[in-house]
Amino acid sequence: MPGAGHVRKGRYGAGVRLIVARCEVSYSGRLSAYLPESTRLLMLKDDGSVLVHADAGGYKPLNWMTPPTVVAEEGGTLVVRKRQGRTEDRLEIRLAEVYSDVRHDMGEAASLEKDGVERDLQLELAAQPHALGEDLRLVRREWPTDIGPVDLMCRDFDDQWVAVEIKRIATMDAVEQLTRYLERIRLDPAMAGCRGILAAQKVRPQAATLADARGILTVEVDLETLRGRREPDLTLFG
Amino acid sequence: MTDTEIMVGSGMKVSVSRDELVQKLSIVSRAVSTRTTVLVLGGILLRAENGELSLAATDMELSLRTTLDAQVDGEGAVVVPGKMLVELARLLPDEDVVIEHRAEEGVVRVDSGAYSSRLHTYNVEDFPRLPEIGAVGTFSVDKDALLDTVSRVSRSASRDESRPVLTGILARFEAGKLVMAATDSYRLSVKETPMEGEAPELEAIIPARALTEVTRIASAADTLELGVQENQVVFVAGGVTLTTRRIEGQFPNYRQLIPESYEQVVTLPRNDVLEVVRRVGVMAQRNSPIRLRFTEGELTVSAQTQDVGESHESLPVGYVGEPMEIGFNADYLRDGFESVTGDDAEFKLISPLRPAVIQGESDDFTYLVMPIRLPST
Repeated sequence: MPGAGHVRKGRYGAGVRLIVARCEVSYSGRLSAYLPESTRLLMLKDDGSVLVHADAGGYKPLNWMTPPTVVAEEGGTLVVRKRQGRTEDRLEIRLAEVYSDVRHDMGEAASLEKDGVERDLQLELAAQPHALGEDLRLVRREWPTDIGPVDLMCRDFDDQWVAVEIKRIATMDAVEQLTRYLERIRLDPAMAGCRGILAAQKVRPQAATLADARGILTVEVDLETLRGRREPDLTLFG
Repeated sequence: MTDTEIMVGSGMKVSVSRDELVQKLSIVSRAVSTRTTVLVLGGILLRAENGELSLAATDMELSLRTTLDAQVDGEGAVVVPGKMLVELARLLPDEDVVIEHRAEEGVVRVDSGAYSSRLHTYNVEDFPRLPEIGAVGTFSVDKDALLDTVSRVSRSASRDESRPVLTGILARFEAGKLVMAATDSYRLSVKETPMEGEAPELEAIIPARALTEVTRIASAADTLELGVQENQVVFVAGGVTLTTRRIEGQFPNYRQLIPESYEQVVTLPRNDVLEVVRRVGVMAQRNSPIRLRFTEGELTVSAQTQDVGESHESLPVGYVGEPMEIGFNADYLRDGFESVTGDDAEFKLISPLRPAVIQGESDDFTYLVMPIRLPST
C-alpha cells in the first residue's frame, strides 16, 4: 500500500492509480452523502480527479472530485479535499480490504489524446495556416491575453494581425469567446485592427450568423484533409 | 415595411365550408414552424372580418396567407395550433364548420355536425406582424417562365445553412428575360428564360425553399404577381400571398465559374444516359463516385461500393480521342441529366479534375458539376 500522498500542482503522482477495494465512502461539503461498505473501483487520476465507481450505474461515478484536490492517505483511509471558497469538500474513503492497487504511467501521449480534436486541429493549422483560406503566417500558438490564450496568432498578406480560435464544433459560445479575446487584443494600439477567424470541423448556422454580424470569419476545416489522409473535395469555389 | 393590425380580444365566430377550410389550411400550414422554441410560430392566425376568414402562418423566414368565404357572426382574431387544426379539419364529419373563439376561456371551439372540440389558443399579440401587402408594389410576371426556371435550377441550391447565400436562388429580372442561378459549390445551375410582359429590372437572392413553395401555390393559378421590398419578397398567386425574406450577401460570380472552352464535347442520348446513370448509381453508396469512362465510340458507366457491390453498363457514344475516366457524385450527375431538356444532351469535358457542363438542346440552361477525384487521378 502506498504511503501518504503528496500533491504537486497539476501533477499528482506517477500516472493513474486504480484501486479495487471493499470500502465505505463519506462525502461532506455542499451536501452530505454516505456509501456503505461495498466493493468499488477507485480511480485517482494524474490530474487530481478522484472517482468512485461501482460495477453498475453506467459511466457515471458514484462520487467524484474534480481537480485541484489534495489527496492524503493515512491508516487505510484516503482523504480527498478540495477548497470551495470558504468551505471545503471532503471525500473520505475508508479501505476495509484492498483487492488490487496498481499505477499506470499513461505517458505524454495521453495528455494530447485527452485534448482531442481541438488540439490536433491547432497543431495542423499552426503548421499550415493557409488552410484557413488566406495567405496567413503563424506568429505564435497560444497567444496570451489577460483572459486566456487565443489558439493561434497570425499575420495576413497585408501584415495585419489575425487571431484564430479553433473548436471541434463552432457554437455561439465560441463566437462570444473569440469576441472577448479580440476585445482584449485590440486594446493594444498596435493590434487595434486585429481580425478574428473561428475555425472548426463544423460551424453551427447560428454561430456563422453571429460571427458574420461581428465581422468574424468562420472556416470549416477537416482534420483528415489537414493530415493529408483525405483529398479535399473538388469544388467550384471556396 | 408597414405592419398589419390585428384585432385583439375578439369574440370571433365564423361558419365556413369544411372542404375549403381544409384546402386553404393545407396551403398555409406549410409555413407553420416545426421548431418548438417559439410556440406561437406553430400556430395559424385566423382572422374574421368583412365576410372572410383569413389564415396566416409564418416560421419567420416564410409566411403564407390566404382567405376563404365565411359567414362572419363575430369579427376578431385568434391563433390556433396549426398542425392540430389541419389534422382536425380533415376529419370533420359535416360540410359546415363553425369556429368560435371564447376569449374568456382561452379556447377556440370547433363544431361540425355532432362533433365538437375545444382547442387551446396562443396569444394573438405574440404572432409576428407580417408585411402589409398593399405597401409593396407588385408587378405581374410570366408565371410559366418563372415556374419552369425555378424547377430547373432549384435542385442546385444548398441545404447547408452554414452558408446562407447558397441556400438561395439568385433571381435577376432583365428586359425581356429572367435569369436564375443556384449553386451549392459542387454544382451550378443557370437558366435564362425569355419573359413576356413588363418587369422592372431587379435582382434578389430568394430562399430556394420559398421559390419551391411558389411553384406549389402558383401552378394552378392564372397569374403570378411579384413584389420586392428592401428585405422582403412577395408573391401573390391564386389568392395566396407568400412573403419571404431576401437573403443578404454576395452570390458567387457564377459567370466566372463557367469554362470558356472544353477538350471534349460529347453528344449523348439524354434519356438513355439518364437511365444508365440511375441504374448504375444504385451501387454508388456512401459517397462513392459514379465513374464515366470514355473510350473511342463508347461510354462505360460504373459504380462500386465496398461491402455493397458493383455495377457497370456501356452504351455507344460519339466519343473520339484519348480515353478519359471521370468520377461524379451520382445524384448530382443524375440531377444534371434530369434538368436538361431534349432528346440529346451535350456533355462538355476538360479533364478529370475540372468541372464538366451538361447542356440540353437549347443553350439557355447550363448545369456545371465538379467531378470527384478518383484514386487514379
